[in-house]
Amino acid sequence: MKNFVILLGILFSFSNTEASEVSEWFEKESNQFLEIINNNQGTENENYEKYKHFVNKNFAVKSIAYGLIGENIINKSSKNELSLYLNVFTDYLITTIYKLANSNTSSSITLKDVDVKDDIYIIKSEISDNKSSANLYWKVIRIGSSFKIIDVIVENTSYFVTKKSEFNKILRKNRGSLEALIREIKKI
Amino acid sequence: MKKHLKVILLTISITFLQITPSYTNEDVSQSGISYDEIYDPIEPINRAVLNFNFFIDDIAIRPIVKTYKFIAPDPVEKGVSNFFSNLKEPIRTVSFIFQGEFYKSFNSIGRFTVNTLTSLGTFDLASRVGMEKNETDFGITLAKGGVSSGPYIVIPIIGPSNLRDFSGDVVEYFVDPISNNVPNREYIAIGSGLNERVEIDEQLDKVRDASSDRYEMIKSIYYQNRNAQLEEEYIQNLPVPKIYIE
Repeated sequence: MKNFVILLGILFSFSNTEASEVSEWFEKESNQFLEIINNNQGTENENYEKYKHFVNKNFAVKSIAYGLIGENIINKSSKNELSLYLNVFTDYLITTIYKLANSNTSSSITLKDVDVKDDIYIIKSEISDNKSSANLYWKVIRIGSSFKIIDVIVENTSYFVTKKSEFNKILRKNRGSLEALIREIKKI
Repeated sequence: MKKHLKVILLTISITFLQITPSYTNEDVSQSGISYDEIYDPIEPINRAVLNFNFFIDDIAIRPIVKTYKFIAPDPVEKGVSNFFSNLKEPIRTVSFIFQGEFYKSFNSIGRFTVNTLTSLGTFDLASRVGMEKNETDFGITLAKGGVSSGPYIVIPIIGPSNLRDFSGDVVEYFVDPISNNVPNREYIAIGSGLNERVEIDEQLDKVRDASSDRYEMIKSIYYQNRNAQLEEEYIQNLPVPKIYIE
């Protein structure tokens, strides 16, 4: 019994350490993100570069990109096609975040809670400006010594789920052609 | 005659809902809900209606909303939003009773009483004293009763829905204690609809050109939001990508 309690204690303290690590990472990166959002006096190119750096550093871009098209498409596509898709998707992700976040209002992000399920950290936060606020969830995984974002959920809308519906539709319409998907993404 | 029409409408809706699947079986989340392929047998019609809705929005509704947002100070906007939300508390009370959520039902009617008596519903005092707002409607009641969502439909002017939720809206229209007891209920319906449009104005502007297929995006967002109202651990159960080494 005593051993069981000790084991529970160790496990609990381990998960607490993990949660505090991810909280620490989140505080740091969200502050950096806010700095980018709130200091947008530079040229469009300069601002875009800041977002690019942030996305490349903190997002599991390959996992998201591949997850959106699914294993069937990955298996039947060539390395070159996949590499082109990854580049185009990365640009698309940066542009989307840039367009959604780049505004003239000053925002703040508050960490509310961290939950862990199946090795995925679910960080609940709140983003607010002087007019309104919204719940913002981040699904994060640990890769090596760093944390990477695999999904962002604004209120109840998941980026991954929404894009997957859109991409699947394009792929189905074009009989699974990755080339057609790349063309469509480039249009935006 | 009107009563017969209600019964026929309800019977058709419920029969149709029970025989139609809400999803096909692709990419099912941990909770068993598929977000990948939503049952959408009348997609071409829905797409045409969505385009029509955007056209009407562009030429008529959006200019009204933008002008209103420009003129009305934030507290006025908030007050109007609270007013329309408060009018829905009695129907929420009824919905919660059907769902067996009696505490929430009491909370809703309590909120209505407090907010109506103190500010005609324009200020949400009830939330300040611990009576938090709980969203629900008859569509949710039907879903909790085991009725599947049925096919996705886009309703002219109103927007995205599905057969179950639309049936819920029809039922609400007839049983809502507020709108059934006021003259010119159409004005309240229009005002409430415009208010909902005002509330999503900024989001709508942001997503307008952010997608390769806005029809799919709106459909997905609609279902995600409805599922979030139905599932306990919605955020935890959303599908996630398989991890690849970066």
